[in-house]
Amino acid sequence: MHAPDTSIRLAITGVGIICSIGRNQSEVWRSIVESRAGIGKLTKFPGETFPTDVAAEVGDIDELLLIGGREARRMSRSDLLAVIAANEAISQADGGATTPLARERAVVSTGTSTGGLLEGESFYFDRLVRGRGRVAVSRVLQQPTSGPSDAVARALGLGGGVLSNATACASAGAAIGMAGDLLRSRHADVAIAGGSDALCRLTYSGFNVLQAVDENPCAPFAAERKGITLGEGAAYLVIERWDDAAARGATILAELCGYGATCDAHHPTAPHEDGRGAEAAMRGALAEGGAERPRVDYINAHGTGTLLNDSAETRAIIAAVGEEVPVSSSKSYFGHTLGASGGVEAVISVLTLQNQLAPPTLRLNMAAADCTLDYIPHTPRPMAMTNVLSNTFGFGGSNVSLLFRRA
Amino acid sequence: MSRVAITGIGIVAPGAVGIEPFRAMLDAAVTAVTPIDRFDTEGLSAHCAALVRDFKARDYIPAMKLRRMNTLSRYAVSAARLAIDDAGATMSSESGVALGTAFGPVQTSVDYMQEYVAKGAALAPPQLFAESVANAPGSHIAIEFDLRGFNVTMTQRESSLLAAAMFASSQIVKGTVPSAIIGGVEEVNEMVFSVLDRLGALAHAEEGLAERMRPFDRRRNGMSIGEGSAIFVAEGTPSRQPYGWLAGFGIARDTTATISDWGTGDAQVIAAMQAAIEDAGIQRSDIDAIYASANGTMRGDRLELLAIQRLFGAEVPPVVAAKGYFGEYAASGGFQLAAALLAMRDQKLHASFGFEEADSEMQFTPLTAPCATPLRNILVNSLSAGGGVVCAVVSREAS
Repeated sequence: MHAPDTSIRLAITGVGIICSIGRNQSEVWRSIVESRAGIGKLTKFPGETFPTDVAAEVGDIDELLLIGGREARRMSRSDLLAVIAANEAISQADGGATTPLARERAVVSTGTSTGGLLEGESFYFDRLVRGRGRVAVSRVLQQPTSGPSDAVARALGLGGGVLSNATACASAGAAIGMAGDLLRSRHADVAIAGGSDALCRLTYSGFNVLQAVDENPCAPFAAERKGITLGEGAAYLVIERWDDAAARGATILAELCGYGATCDAHHPTAPHEDGRGAEAAMRGALAEGGAERPRVDYINAHGTGTLLNDSAETRAIIAAVGEEVPVSSSKSYFGHTLGASGGVEAVISVLTLQNQLAPPTLRLNMAAADCTLDYIPHTPRPMAMTNVLSNTFGFGGSNVSLLFRRA
Repeated sequence: MSRVAITGIGIVAPGAVGIEPFRAMLDAAVTAVTPIDRFDTEGLSAHCAALVRDFKARDYIPAMKLRRMNTLSRYAVSAARLAIDDAGATMSSESGVALGTAFGPVQTSVDYMQEYVAKGAALAPPQLFAESVANAPGSHIAIEFDLRGFNVTMTQRESSLLAAAMFASSQIVKGTVPSAIIGGVEEVNEMVFSVLDRLGALAHAEEGLAERMRPFDRRRNGMSIGEGSAIFVAEGTPSRQPYGWLAGFGIARDTTATISDWGTGDAQVIAAMQAAIEDAGIQRSDIDAIYASANGTMRGDRLELLAIQRLFGAEVPPVVAAKGYFGEYAASGGFQLAAALLAMRDQKLHASFGFEEADSEMQFTPLTAPCATPLRNILVNSLSAGGGVVCAVVSREAS
C-alpha cells in the first residue's frame, strides 16, 4: 500500500466554524479580538436539575440551514452544525479559485463524541412514556456518530469517502490527522476534516457527576479553576495537497505540517499526571513538521480548566517545547466543545496564523502555582508566528497534536 | 509500497471464543444466528441474532478490572489478549490501537439514562458515564497492554473495522508505530435491534420461510445482526508467519445513498475496489476471491454485486458471503476480515451461508461449498448504509 508521503505539503484552503462566539469565521474572530466570551446560563433542558448551570451554547441555527425542511428534520443538531461549518469551509476553498474542488474525490473525516445523542435521548424518553412501538424511529436515524460525516457528504455532494471517529475529545484532531494522511497516500484528493458535537443531557450530567464542571465560566490555568464549561459547535478545514491547491488557483490560508497521536495508557478518564502522552503527541507533530525541529511560536492548548489537565499539559509543554512558548486556551471563550474541540481549535489556530494575533486566555487573573507558562491573559497579543501547535486530549488518554505553519 | 502483516487474531464470537473454534464454526457451516433470549422481541418482526454466549470475561480479565468495564470493553480486551497470545509476541509500548464500532456503547448510554431518570441528573453513576464513550474499549486495551501509540475508534457504520484497519496500516507503513492492535467490537441490545426492526432492516419470517439472513438470495428481506469482538495484531515486520498481509485499501462514497439505505452508485463502489487493488500493487486478475459485504438487504446486495460484475466482467472470482454465520455488525466487520485471513492461511475458501436461490435479476450464485484453492489475494468489501465504502486487499505474500 502507499504510505503517507510526509514530503507532500498540505494546504488549508478553507475553514468553517460555528460555536458560541460566532456562526462563521468572521464572527468568531471578531469575538476573539474583542475578548468576548460566549458562555452563559444553560438554556437547554429546562426543568432538569444539574449541579451547575453554565454552558457555551450556539443558540438557534434554523436561519443558517442550507437544506430543505424534510432533509433538515432527518438530521441531528450535531449533523446540522457540521453541515453549516463544512459549507462555509468549502465555499471559501472554492471562492476565488479558477477551478472548484473535485467534490467526487473529497473525503469527509469527522470527529464527534456523541453524534446525535441529543435526539437519541428524546427518543429514549418518549419510548419510556409511550412504549417502543409508538415512537417514530425516523427520529433516531440521526443518532449514530457517523451522522455528521454522512450528513456533510450528503448535503454537499462529496464522493471521496466518509470517515467518522469517536475518540472522545481528541476526535476532531484525529479526524484532521487521518485526513492529512489520506491525502499524502493519495487515497483522496481533497479532505473536509473537522468535528461536530451538540450539547446533550448525558454529557452535561456525566461531566457533572464526575465533578469536572466549574460552576462559573471556566478559568483555564488559573489558581481558582474548578473544571470545564461544556460547549457545542462544529468546525471543518478543507485540506488539499499544496500543489493541487496552487494549480487550481486557491488561496492557501495555512499549511498543515505535522500530526502526532498517542495514548497515555494510564486511566480511563484522567490524564497521566506528567502529561507523558501529551508530550509524545507534541513531539510527534514536531517530528513530522520537518527535518529540523521547528520553533513553536504559540500553542493553542487543550486547556480545559480542570485541575489535572492544565497542570499535566503545562508539564508536557515544558518537556516537549520549552518554557518560553506563549500558550492560551480558547476554551475560555467557547467552552469545551468535546469531540468538536480539535476542529474548532484548529480553525482558531489557522485564523491566529493568518491574523498574526494570538488569542488570550480569558478570566486568568492569577495563574495556578503548577501552571508556570505565559498564558496570554485577558487580551489578544500581536505576535510574529510561523509555527502553531494545537493540542486536543480526551477520555481514554487519547492525545492529538497538530502543527500548523503560516502560508 | 508496503504491506502490514497480521500475526495474531483474537476472537470473542457467538459460538466461538478463540481463532480455532471460530475456524471450526466456519468449517462446520453452522450459523450463530439463533433466537434471542436476552430481551423481549414480542411485537417485532425479527426474533433472531448472533449473540455471544458461554463467554466468561473473568477468564481473561482480573475481577478488579472487570468491574470498570462494560460489555464492549470486556469483549475487546479479552479478544486483544487472545490475539496477542496468538501472535506469541510482546507488543511494543509504541504500538497503536485502532478499533471500529458501528453502534458503540448504546447500551451503556441507555443504562446511564435509566439511572438519570431514576436518580436525577446529579446522581447518575460516574462509572457508567466513563464507559459511555465509544473509545472506552480501545482505552482499556491500551491500559491493559501499555500501548502508547495512537488510539482511535472509528465509527463508520458497517465499514468501521476496515476504516480502522486502513488508518492503523497507514501509520505502520508511515513508520509512526511498529505495530498496532486493530479490531472491531459490537454489542446487540434491545434498543438497536428494535429500531432496526422497525426500519424494516432485519431479516424476518414471511410466506412460510423461516427468519434467515440470505445474502444474494432472491428472497432476501434483511440482515441479521451479531456482536462480539475480533482483534488483530498488525506488524510492519512480522514476528511469526502471518495469516496474511493487509496490502491495499480503497475508499469512496456512493452519492446516491439515502440516510439509512444503500444507493445505486456502483461507479463509486467500483472506484473503491479498484483503488484497493491498485494500492496493493496488483492487477484485477490477481484477485482470487472476494469476501463480500453482502448482508441480505435488497439494495445493498444488488449494489455490491453490480459493482463486482462490472469491475470483473466475465472473470468474477469466487464470492463468499460469510455474514450469514455471524451477522452484520458482528465485531463491526471484524469476523469478515478474520474469515478472509483464515482462508488465506488455510488456502481454503469458506462456504457462504444463507444463500439458497439465485435472484432472477442478479443471476448470481456465491460460493456455496468450501473450496481448497490457491489464494494469492482476497478482496474484502464493506458497503455501509448511507453510502460509505471501504475495501481492502488481503495478500499471501509480503510484496
